[in-house]
Amino acid sequence: MASSVTLLGHAVERSEDPPLLTGSARFVADLDRPGMLHAVFVRSQVAHGLLRSVEVAEAAAMPGVVAVFTASDLPLADLPEWPRGEPPRAELGRPCLARERVRFVGEAVAVVVGSTLSAAVDAAEAVTVDIEPLPTVLDPLDALAERAPLLFPEHGSNEVLRQLTGAAGALDGSEVVVRGHFYNQRVAPCPLEPNGAAAWPAAGGRLDCFASTQAPFRLRAAIALALGRPEETVRVVAPAVGGGFGAKGGVYPEQLVTAALAERLGQPVRFVETRSENMLAMCHGRGQVQEVALGARRDGTIVGLEATMVTEMGAYCWRGPVPFSTSRIMATGPYRIPKLSLTSIGAVTNTTPIGPYRGAGRPEATAMLERMIELLAAELDLDSVEVRRRNLLAPSEFPYAAPSGASYDSGDYSAALAKALALLGYEQVRAEQADRRQSSCATELGVGIATFVEISGSGSEYGAVRVEPGGSVVVLTGSSPHGQGLATTLTQIAAGMLKVPISTVSVVHSDTALVPRGVGTFGSRSGQLAGNAVAHAVEEVLEKARELAAVELEADPDDVVQLEDGSFAVAGVPSISLGLAELARRAGGPIGAEWDFAQESGTYPFGTHIAVVEVDTETGKVELRRLVAVDDCGRVVNPKIVAGQVHGGVAQGIAQALFEAVRYDESGNPLTTNLADYAFPSAAEMPAFELGETETPSPRNPLGMKGIGESGAVGAAAAVQNAVVDALSPYGVLHLDMPADPERVWRAVHEGRRDGQDPFSSSS
Amino acid sequence: MLVPASLDELLASVAADTRADLIAGGTDLMVEVNFGRRSPESVISVALVPELKSWYRSGDEVILNAALTYSEMMRPPLCELLPALAQAARTVGSPQIRNAGTIGGNLATASPAGDTLPVLAALEATVVLESAEGGRAVPVGEFIVSVKRTSLAPGEIIRSVRVPARRAAQEFLKVGTRNAMVIAVCSVALVADAERREVHLGLGSVGPVPLRAPRAEELATSLFDWDEGVPRASEKELARLAELASEAARPIDDHRSTARYRRHAVGVCARRAFERARLPDATGRRSVTP
Ligand SMILES: Cc1cc2nc3c(=O)[nH]c(=O)nc-3n(C[C@H](O)[C@H](O)[C@H](O)COP(=O)(O)OP(=O)(O)OC[C@H]3O[C@@H](n4cnc5c(N)ncnc54)[C@H](O)[C@@H]3O)c2cc1C
Repeated sequence: MASSVTLLGHAVERSEDPPLLTGSARFVADLDRPGMLHAVFVRSQVAHGLLRSVEVAEAAAMPGVVAVFTASDLPLADLPEWPRGEPPRAELGRPCLARERVRFVGEAVAVVVGSTLSAAVDAAEAVTVDIEPLPTVLDPLDALAERAPLLFPEHGSNEVLRQLTGAAGALDGSEVVVRGHFYNQRVAPCPLEPNGAAAWPAAGGRLDCFASTQAPFRLRAAIALALGRPEETVRVVAPAVGGGFGAKGGVYPEQLVTAALAERLGQPVRFVETRSENMLAMCHGRGQVQEVALGARRDGTIVGLEATMVTEMGAYCWRGPVPFSTSRIMATGPYRIPKLSLTSIGAVTNTTPIGPYRGAGRPEATAMLERMIELLAAELDLDSVEVRRRNLLAPSEFPYAAPSGASYDSGDYSAALAKALALLGYEQVRAEQADRRQSSCATELGVGIATFVEISGSGSEYGAVRVEPGGSVVVLTGSSPHGQGLATTLTQIAAGMLKVPISTVSVVHSDTALVPRGVGTFGSRSGQLAGNAVAHAVEEVLEKARELAAVELEADPDDVVQLEDGSFAVAGVPSISLGLAELARRAGGPIGAEWDFAQESGTYPFGTHIAVVEVDTETGKVELRRLVAVDDCGRVVNPKIVAGQVHGGVAQGIAQALFEAVRYDESGNPLTTNLADYAFPSAAEMPAFELGETETPSPRNPLGMKGIGESGAVGAAAAVQNAVVDALSPYGVLHLDMPADPERVWRAVHEGRRDGQDPFSSSS
Repeated sequence: MLVPASLDELLASVAADTRADLIAGGTDLMVEVNFGRRSPESVISVALVPELKSWYRSGDEVILNAALTYSEMMRPPLCELLPALAQAARTVGSPQIRNAGTIGGNLATASPAGDTLPVLAALEATVVLESAEGGRAVPVGEFIVSVKRTSLAPGEIIRSVRVPARRAAQEFLKVGTRNAMVIAVCSVALVADAERREVHLGLGSVGPVPLRAPRAEELATSLFDWDEGVPRASEKELARLAELASEAARPIDDHRSTARYRRHAVGVCARRAFERARLPDATGRRSVTP
């Protein structure tokens, strides 16, 4: 057994994997109860329209149908607007089932409950929804234009959020100004398990709800609010969750409706999305238009940044404010940008609502800055590495007050950049690129760099530790891990600090009946917040144990020490010692402590990612050759878990850069509602990732940790995008929006050709 | 749902219920059903009919039975006899789809993006149809009449596909948005037949049906060194070959790609397929250097 000294920082095997690998893990779709009913939603097939009528009689009369509900038969409060705390704007509310108006294809209009799933599916097709179509608006800039069709006429505009940061004149004093117009495209989170929920009445009047969620306590609050019940009468459990990536951090209409149905019908009800439904009903991520100008001096020193970020909200101002505000906060990234003039706008359109998706605003800000750095370097004819070096914040500048109001904790950005360049062999790759450009090879080589900083771990989290007289250790966390490996990390922290074997520790989470309070797992928060909450609770347990030992050993508590084997003894008398379990037995019950760890200003993980791509200029196909990722997430508890998080994030970043985009036709019909049309990549598109790290502890929590859940997606997308543009630079290409799919790349090559000749004009 | 265990039984069932849908691997049919685009009243399975399984050689032809799966196309010795078909099969879907999906299903679906179709076009395959009344053989170009339309008559099934097994160079290239599970934006199959000394090109996803490119074929035939078994062409001739292949395409714009890109890419693929083509020697080995 690893001893305490090596336990933190050790690649302990994940305890989460065996049930997942052997198929014994239970997801919402696996939950069964006698008399389970099945809910199927009837969804709008029209992007924008007035809801004239919903005819349910035929469906309700079909065999196996228990009930059919519309908004009028199942009155539920609108979903809470985010962020909470601001005065709610009732006119912008998001109903659980559409009333009067539908605003996107996929919006739930009615729900059919059947005794079998197939009965409910068939009956859902028999519900007739009469919608009077209205003009649609899909592009956020169109939505902001005068005379655009309005989604919320009472609001008077499709602009639902606006925030100004800094002051005008950010570019004053610049010797050179470069400008960019970028679109960070809308993508779908695509967890392998779609959304799902089940609920049933339990003993004592309690309603038990199960959901594929990242935040059970949030969902409990929302269900209690929607049903007008005290929170204590609602239990929410997140069983095994097959991925969330932020998209399952909020509350969905379908979850509240499922709970309401179970309450109303007094029977178990389950709802599980199909993949195609998931592509419509689960939030999408990203979707930001950026109009940017970066001012600098001729030597490459940045003077100021002026930008407008228009974040799509989709049909409702629901969880889109998360990426809206995070991209604002991270707008100046790792660079010393003295002056910022930023306009952030949120616009509603007739599309699936936007929400947080891995990175949630951080990748948007990073891609914007990293593209601007490249444009500046090209303008000044400097190597972009040099431009970065001149502008990266230095370790001595922390804590750093960014112009957005963010307070960066700690960092050594240049060290991560240097390490990534060394891992890559930057000079060799550039030399190879030069050779390639000399030759007549149709395959160009491109190198792309992204230096970034992101924000993680805001708010607070609950943790508790209990040493039982039998020797087992129970850890409770308010976080809701769902694949990340947090249970292993918390086990390591508790076992390491208590000096007990890992096998004695179990972690309880994701059940509001077993954990008194908590928040959840999102925003790269859990390792640091739950970890420090547990660490603090362990310290209290150790303190209590020392006091108990002092009584038992008839010594002064100050003279009692914990030995390497975890037991307590009087200093200098190791032969008489008492273990933790023994102390609990003598105390007549468990030794426990709990703690809520809060970290209001968050921590700032950072790193440098570098991509090498080969671009076939004849077909436009991009082949990712290498992806080097150097990440700094402060103190590392388990390097294997950190690497796992980086791998997943990097893959999703690459996916955005090269493959994925949610598309609609002109009338707002989604075109990418399955994984054949939505180019979700697989391992076949990924190279072996080359990881490295630097370790700059955060001063904001005792363990010195920062988050690592999202950085992969933050850095990799921008690095790959830069690499593609770099490969195409001999063709005069200065920018290419993502995804760099073959056609888009080929067009860029083609349109960028200096001779301006269309080689196939004769045939097209 | 009926699951006949012999060809006779199958033909009798189909004759008795000409409106029934046939199912082989179900990888097209069930997608239609799941998306509510088709709701069959009755279904007859061809998957367990022994006469429709596997393949065999007959003289200088290979007979591919209708229920031959992609996984079977990828295995030796068939993959050595028909390398372009094996290459096409490797690009289809995922292992699950390749284990279930069949050549008969691909033909009957007649999607412009069907991956075996350009190969069968370049091989000048013959589709063998059968009904309770008897059989008939039609060239693949006549079997597929338009987008998702075939000349299969009510009561008829696809029994097999006949292709030549002559000494030939074969290539298949596909452009799509990713490496696995990808629907072709365009594809090209090339067959350089050493006995007839002819190069054939089949173009996929660039027209309502798989297309041939007669002018490009003519040029390619003249540029191929039939004695050495390798292509011999200048940069300019290769460019012309690509251009002629592009000209043969009749692509459309859809959400996967524009016609313009498809037309261009199919030319690049044709040229590359030609550049890669190597005739095998008598032992079946292909020379490496031109
Ligand atoms: C996830 C996924 C990925 C795919 N990827 C690809 C791809 O990359 N390339 C590609 O080309 N296709 C692809 N397909 C489509 C499909 O797999 C192929 O077209 C396959 O060849 C269909 O064969 P099947 O046996 O499954 O046909 P089925 O679905 O069983 O049948 C399809 C049609 O053919 C008819 N039929 C079947 N057998 C006969 C017969 N003997 N006689 C007459 N009619 C018959 C059926 O009635 C039906 O109309 C994919 C499908 C899926 C679901």
